[in-house]
Amino acid sequence: MPFDPTTLDGPFTALAAFEWGGDAAPLGVIDAAVVAAHGDAALTADLEKRLGGVISGATSRAAKDYACRKLSMIGTAASVPALVPLLADRDESHMARFALERIPAPAAADALRQALGTVRGDLAIGMISSLANRRDAASVKPLAALLGGDAATAAAAASALGRIATADAAAALTAAKIQPGPVADAVIDGRLACADAFLAAVNRGSAQAIYESIAARIGDTPTTHRDRVVRIAAKSGILACLDDTVAL
Amino acid sequence: MCDVRKKWRDESKARVDEKYGSTDCAALVDFREVLGRDDIDAVHIATPDHWHSIMTIAACRAGKDIYLQKPETLTLREGPLMIQAARRYGRVVSGGSQRVLEDYRPLVDPCWAGELGTITSIDLSVGPRSMACYLPAVATPPEIDWDLWLGPAPWEPYNPGRCDGNFGTGGNSWRSYVDYSGGSLTDWGAHHFGGTIFAAGLLHLQPTTVTWHPASADGTVAAYITLVYPNGVEIHCNRPATLRPTDAKAVVAQADRGITIRGDGTAVAPVPVPAYRGTGGIYGDFIECVKTRERPFRELELGVNTMTAPHLVAIAQRLERSLEWDRTAQRFANDEEANRLLDRARREPWTL
Repeated sequence: MPFDPTTLDGPFTALAAFEWGGDAAPLGVIDAAVVAAHGDAALTADLEKRLGGVISGATSRAAKDYACRKLSMIGTAASVPALVPLLADRDESHMARFALERIPAPAAADALRQALGTVRGDLAIGMISSLANRRDAASVKPLAALLGGDAATAAAAASALGRIATADAAAALTAAKIQPGPVADAVIDGRLACADAFLAAVNRGSAQAIYESIAARIGDTPTTHRDRVVRIAAKSGILACLDDTVAL
Repeated sequence: MCDVRKKWRDESKARVDEKYGSTDCAALVDFREVLGRDDIDAVHIATPDHWHSIMTIAACRAGKDIYLQKPETLTLREGPLMIQAARRYGRVVSGGSQRVLEDYRPLVDPCWAGELGTITSIDLSVGPRSMACYLPAVATPPEIDWDLWLGPAPWEPYNPGRCDGNFGTGGNSWRSYVDYSGGSLTDWGAHHFGGTIFAAGLLHLQPTTVTWHPASADGTVAAYITLVYPNGVEIHCNRPATLRPTDAKAVVAQADRGITIRGDGTAVAPVPVPAYRGTGGIYGDFIECVKTRERPFRELELGVNTMTAPHLVAIAQRLERSLEWDRTAQRFANDEEANRLLDRARREPWTL
């Protein structure tokens, strides 16, 4: 039986005033509508517009939280404008990303990338996390620019470049001039992730170059536990790159 | 010991101090302090599920071996990333399902002895997936670091029912709620799927199809899910008893767990059941492997393969339709909406 969109009027009125601890029954109606919207372009568009209204309106944090979760399932590029203003809000940023990270439209990645250029601190790390999860290759340049910034953001950027693992990402990590410490550790982890990705793609030459570079940097007598572990990773990677017929 | 709740920190420290007759045990709040210590070789991660992947990957990077409580993962995307980290840094990572060789041994032995022939199908019953949490805000007590308890999960106000560690999955426990757990489907599912998947020899495989069987129109027959593995073995999750076959050539069952395993009764050579290494059950197996650098009984890859099954069930249940799972790509085929559910954005500053 087709879903009757007029049955959503009451639940969305209730959602706009929803607080944690309130009556969740109207939200259950919206949940069912989201499931029923699969393959129904008109219902999906109706829901998306209503949810966008909750995001943009003077609604509670709980209401916006719920709307972002639903938009993460059915949102399209049409929802991006409503979500963007929340990215700079300390309370709302994460749930805006909750939606944007899952919306496959390029506009969602564009919004996260643009926000990366304006927010700072933990919010920037949030954008980095979502761009990494999307494996957004277009983010390599802005992420590389963050490698010289504050330690937490730089470490997150290094990790993200390792997740994205393109040739440009690997090059950015290799070129980074970082003093020993947590950021340097994150850069090495990122480089190892790139090397592993190259190896998995049977790009042994590029992988081996990274492993050997890291192994050379650590040396044959690492003195810290972390360095010993990294040496294991690098040497294991080199072995994996070798032809099977080469005797060990 | 490390816990964001003072009560558990204090109680755990007291137990350790009593065992060793000292006061040496440090009681920490932030797991990063533990990972930063060079005198720590291995860690036991027993947090709610939403922390498992971040802590496991961080511990691998820090060069620690890990005993990780089941369910190993909260989302499908986490497993491969955790495995990559474990292999990259040469870590011993054991998942925690002590029940496979204990509670489910009566299923395992006849299957591995070849008594059922080639395994054809499994029926198991498991409780519901997790649900949204709308509990009201309550003043946060000083003895819990609520921000750190939430970690990567969405911020929502403190309520004791949100974070209680009781084993209920019907509400008022973290196991009930989607931000922290997969519900009974992954909590007990880790054991039920774990035991049956091990018994049926499916540990190195992941399902390829997930079939949604909707409830009957008159409501007399409940909905259920069928997973099909590449070798043709079917796992029916919560299939109504009236729909289960009664003519299988060979059967072994645990009625109290709603589990039945069926075979075709053909001649199949017996295979010895793997044993734990060392002594002391699955925990001893882990400790022994830390020393010998062997892969443990429930090494991470096998735990991730096991948990893939209930995660696929949860997504098919949520979307109320059938799905195709591409193990190589670790994505659903031709279902963009299902692929949105592979993972979820983590609250800053936490990243995978």
